[in-house]
Amino acid sequence: MSAPPETAPGAGGWGRHVPAVLAALGVLLLLQLLGTLVVAVLHLPVPGAVVGLVLLVAFGARYRGLLRRVEPAGDPLLRHLQLLFVPPGVGVVTEGSRLAAAAGPLALAVGGSFAVGLVVAGLLLQALLRRGERP
Amino acid sequence: MNAVVHAPAFGLALTLLAYLGAGELHRRLGRPALLAPVLVTTVVVAVVLQVLGIGYDEYLASVSVLTLLLGPATVALALPLLRAGRALLASRAAVLATLLVTGVVSVGVTVGALELFGVADDLVRTALPRSVTTPVALTLAGTLHGVATLTVVLTLVSGVLGAVAGPALLSLVRVTDPRARGFAVGLTSHGIGTSRALAESEVAGGWSSAAMVLNALAMTVALPLVARWFGG
Repeated sequence: MSAPPETAPGAGGWGRHVPAVLAALGVLLLLQLLGTLVVAVLHLPVPGAVVGLVLLVAFGARYRGLLRRVEPAGDPLLRHLQLLFVPPGVGVVTEGSRLAAAAGPLALAVGGSFAVGLVVAGLLLQALLRRGERP
Repeated sequence: MNAVVHAPAFGLALTLLAYLGAGELHRRLGRPALLAPVLVTTVVVAVVLQVLGIGYDEYLASVSVLTLLLGPATVALALPLLRAGRALLASRAAVLATLLVTGVVSVGVTVGALELFGVADDLVRTALPRSVTTPVALTLAGTLHGVATLTVVLTLVSGVLGAVAGPALLSLVRVTDPRARGFAVGLTSHGIGTSRALAESEVAGGWSSAAMVLNALAMTVALPLVARWFGG
């Protein structure tokens, strides 16, 4: 099985010598670090990566070429986001006893806020969308 | 044998191979939500580490590249948001109102239930980010001085709940609009719920990822303020 040629459609001329996925990862990391810089300079109480997300939304809405650059790494990362949760999940073994001690209230808090949140969000948005679309 | 087990690459190899196997198992059994690859992988890795007597710190050092990828993955969440952009902008008032009301209600229920039982403040701070997509929840748990590993478990539980029970619960209360169904699942069950919503329809999936991202942004701003009441 041979890999398809690494030519992102509509990509600019730079960075042709590296696989598209590496170039994309580079752009994502650069945006994350830019976000970290913004957070450090402005003393914001949010993670740098979240500011990087906002930066990508802002730049990407204007420059579609940037999105095509980011997709080769961004899409597979998002599809397999779960893999990145395995290490902390394994760590719960070390927190097991604390979890067991407060298991009842935690289950109620998580299950309750899940069910209530889901129903409220679904019903409210459906009602609002219907009202907005009525002629 | 010892040389292999304690090689710096062992933890990473174990995790990747377990994930591959879990994904294959999940596909062959017809994608049951309870056997989500992330759960199976976590259990397999934890058991293998216990059996071989590998410490968590050693394992964490081996998989540091996965931890590092959480940053770029968070930035990449901009992609689904931009793809759903036009439809969202057209109904921005409805979307923002839903985001706000649901956020208040679900944080309220979480805090209320835990306070009712007199659970320690640091556990309250740990449970707060549970509806947020995991890369952001992890960072938030750090910001809020919660217990990061526990936050991840509560987040995963929320995700699996959404994938297993979400669609049925929404049908029960007669939410039929695919946009509202997707948005509700994404808001409460982030990435794992989103993959379930995508299976329902493209529209539901798009609105679900958008809800996941908007919720992450809103909670990043709001939760540090809420946590202050609990000594965060």
